[in-house]
Amino acid sequence: MRRYERLVLVTALRLSGNLPDAQDVSQEVFLKLYRNLGKMTSEEAVAGWLYRVTVNACHDLRRRRGREDSLENGRAIGLRRRGPAPGAHRGERARALELSLRMLPEKERAALVLRDLEGLSTEEVARALGSSEATVRSQVSKARVKVKGFVERYFGRRS
Amino acid sequence: MNCAEWETRVALHAGGDLTGGEAADVERHLGECSACQAFWSDLRESLAVLQSAHADLPAPGHFTAVRSRVMAELQHRARPWRRLAWISGVAVAAAAALLVALWPARVAPEAPRLLASIPPAPQVAKVSPPAAVTAAPSIPRAFWLEAPAGSSPRPGSHGTSRGRRPSARS
Repeated sequence: MRRYERLVLVTALRLSGNLPDAQDVSQEVFLKLYRNLGKMTSEEAVAGWLYRVTVNACHDLRRRRGREDSLENGRAIGLRRRGPAPGAHRGERARALELSLRMLPEKERAALVLRDLEGLSTEEVARALGSSEATVRSQVSKARVKVKGFVERYFGRRS
Repeated sequence: MNCAEWETRVALHAGGDLTGGEAADVERHLGECSACQAFWSDLRESLAVLQSAHADLPAPGHFTAVRSRVMAELQHRARPWRRLAWISGVAVAAAAALLVALWPARVAPEAPRLLASIPPAPQVAKVSPPAAVTAAPSIPRAFWLEAPAGSSPRPGSHGTSRGRRPSARS
């Protein structure tokens, strides 16, 4: 469990946007893993399975809650301060990450998190999301462009 | 950026998703187009911001909390008899409480023995009716029905036979 807790909790945190939900999802995912341990053939299979189940659990949680507050949060962001983003304060970057992910549609967010933050290949992302590689590429490219625009607005840089 | 048709490919290239000929095409275009070059650079920079923030992990306590919750849940599930015993105990207690609450209502309270305090009726000597009464002629039933009220007593409506009442204990 310790081996995979970073994978599950951090992915759930990026997808759900808050720690309490991420912890609920993580608990659910690890209990499912416990029930399905016998079906796992390799460590690689476990990681892929965990990503898939975590993404699905986050989607289910969001549907249960019936909320989609990403746009409101995105609109609430004005120009914060001027300065180069890479040199931004750690807390500011964390806030920019959180808000830019919230701004994205659910599927684009999942694709971006798995591909650009977790570093999975396009093929692995497609498997985790249950979609094609072409779809993932499209989602990832759209998400990157949106995130670029958001980060520039957040740090008050040119758009 | 004026090169809208390049946007998707530049975005993919910024994240290292293009290989071979596709990547070479984009590289060539970036060398010729300053706007796309700036777009590509900004994409890389924003991704770098996100990736550096992503590398900061939550505090260790959050991982510990998840671990504890999972272990507690697994231990709880590993001993289903405890849960069963607890549920059974609650059910038995509830049934007992219900029984105690309803028991007095289901059994009728015993009637107070008031009759026991009533003294027995005095013994009355049997008196024979007078001969005139016993020898009275029989009157047709229709007469009694038609006679005005109080005009004539019904036979047997008075006399000693009425004064005898059954014993309280019979």
